[in-house]
Amino acid sequence: MVRHMRRLVGVLMAISIVQCVNAADGTVAGKPDLNGVWQVLNTANYDIEAHAARAAMALRPGPFGPVPAKAVVALGAVGAVPAGLGVVDGGEIPYQPWALEKKKENQANWLARDPEIRCYLPGVPRATYMPFPFQIFHSEQAIFFAYEYAGAVRNIYLADPGEPPTDTWMGQSFGTWDGNTLVVTATGFNDRTWFDRSGNFHSDKLKVTERYTPINAHTMNYQATIEDAEVFTRPWTMSMTLYKRVGADARLQQFKCIEFVEELMYGHLRKEPLE
Amino acid sequence: MNTISTICAASMLLMATAARADYAAPRTAAGEPDLQGVWTNATITPVERMNFFPQLVLTKPQADMLEQRTREFAERGSAPTDPDAPPPEAGDDVGGYNSFWIDAGTTVALVNGEYRSSLITSPADGKLPYTPAAQAKRVQLLMSIRDGLDGPEQRPLGERCLVGFGSTSGPPMLPVLYNNNYQIVQAPGSVMILAEMNHDARIVRIGGEHPPTDVRTWMGDSIGHWEGDTLVVETTNFHPAQSMRACIRYQIYMSANATVTERFTRVAHDQILYQFTVDDAEAFSEPWSGEIPMRASEGPIYEYACHEGNYSLPGILAGARREARTTDEGAE
Repeated sequence: MVRHMRRLVGVLMAISIVQCVNAADGTVAGKPDLNGVWQVLNTANYDIEAHAARAAMALRPGPFGPVPAKAVVALGAVGAVPAGLGVVDGGEIPYQPWALEKKKENQANWLARDPEIRCYLPGVPRATYMPFPFQIFHSEQAIFFAYEYAGAVRNIYLADPGEPPTDTWMGQSFGTWDGNTLVVTATGFNDRTWFDRSGNFHSDKLKVTERYTPINAHTMNYQATIEDAEVFTRPWTMSMTLYKRVGADARLQQFKCIEFVEELMYGHLRKEPLE
Repeated sequence: MNTISTICAASMLLMATAARADYAAPRTAAGEPDLQGVWTNATITPVERMNFFPQLVLTKPQADMLEQRTREFAERGSAPTDPDAPPPEAGDDVGGYNSFWIDAGTTVALVNGEYRSSLITSPADGKLPYTPAAQAKRVQLLMSIRDGLDGPEQRPLGERCLVGFGSTSGPPMLPVLYNNNYQIVQAPGSVMILAEMNHDARIVRIGGEHPPTDVRTWMGDSIGHWEGDTLVVETTNFHPAQSMRACIRYQIYMSANATVTERFTRVAHDQILYQFTVDDAEAFSEPWSGEIPMRASEGPIYEYACHEGNYSLPGILAGARREARTTDEGAE
């Protein structure tokens, strides 16, 4: 009996939380109001799989074990990798054998291959868990995501846009509602974005199904289901929490990083290359 | 006949004015005028007044003639290449864009029923009122675009993919050769204006204060408020590198200390009247203002990725290095 009562109280609390969200924040066209500046508080951008802290993203063999690669050794603790419990449901990405080999090769060549290093558009879902906030503009007519990193943007079509006309970095996004969950189906990707700094990758057959579910006024559950039969043996899902920034922090800044990588990309083409 | 035409024209003008006066902009759930959608400011009307049309307002035949010329130019450009044409000579300039890439509009700007010869409405001559010092600075910056090949920082922002060419993202948002599309989304406390080129989302805060003057951002810092049916946006704190707004159609210099005031008014279901004033005592002898129709655009806007495939910038720099080597070898 007590157990039944507990269950009933739990259900009632869950219902009242859902109602609070709507009462406190209002709704947009009868759906949860997703407006705001959101950000993850995790280390998924380093590695979406569980990982211990380590000295650097780029390592090389040392006399007594790996040490930071020459190109990053000067960064010291700033260049070290914070640990993470991982965001992949079930813990492991179901790579096909060849793809796992390629992932390891990507990781070994991180400095040369990670598109983030060249300030390229981050793709989906990586845009969500970059260590930068993003702002959702949610009105009766439109849902639009603006990301601080690289000034990336996504317009979430609310009417079926049909087949994507071409492959793109940020894909084509089609949003529908499943109860209080915004479901975004993103397709039409090229194969040039990664999932993180650890070489996790996909092909241009990638399909991402994102689910944005408010938990309360200040947090949202985020899930991204990855389908890509060329690279993985089955669909798999990432899950994490999005936090809403409040007060003076609830404002997107600019991180237009292209100019920050010009020395890296074009420094050798200067009239007088720097030593 | 002439009298009848005049009466017809006058009554049409009255009808156009009446239509605007009667038009009630749709409202958002928050009760604000609804400016949302995908819009284009593409027009063949130039920013500054054309020399051969000294008046702001063109006659209908004049406007028809300009539009006809634009159509003919596009048709010529789209004609198949002569298969018997000889190859270009070594060193010939083969040009940059053919008409396939150009999407600068096909119509003269029509504002309040008037065909316009310039987007600038004030000063009365439709010309940018540079001070002599600013005009000299402008010429110096233009020369540095032509000759500055020592490193990426000397190239214009559009070539570097930092922001779009010219003043497409603004403010003021002025039409360029292509990608003249914008998307507006209104949210509580902010209005987002996406400029297609370079996927630049201008986030206008409703109310608030500008940051200290030493904090400078791309496209400046924009604060808006509503005045009746009009969204008024004031922008300051411009990034100094954005002072030269250069594109094929115009090359405008304004100082980083300019204040730009924009007014967005929905005057029809398919049109926003965009008005702006640039107040910049460092560059201009008086403020200058303009009006541009933003017409409903057949969406959607697709991804604008630039940096990810920027072969031009390394090509330009590598070309300059190669040219220098060739010149050196020739001298030896």
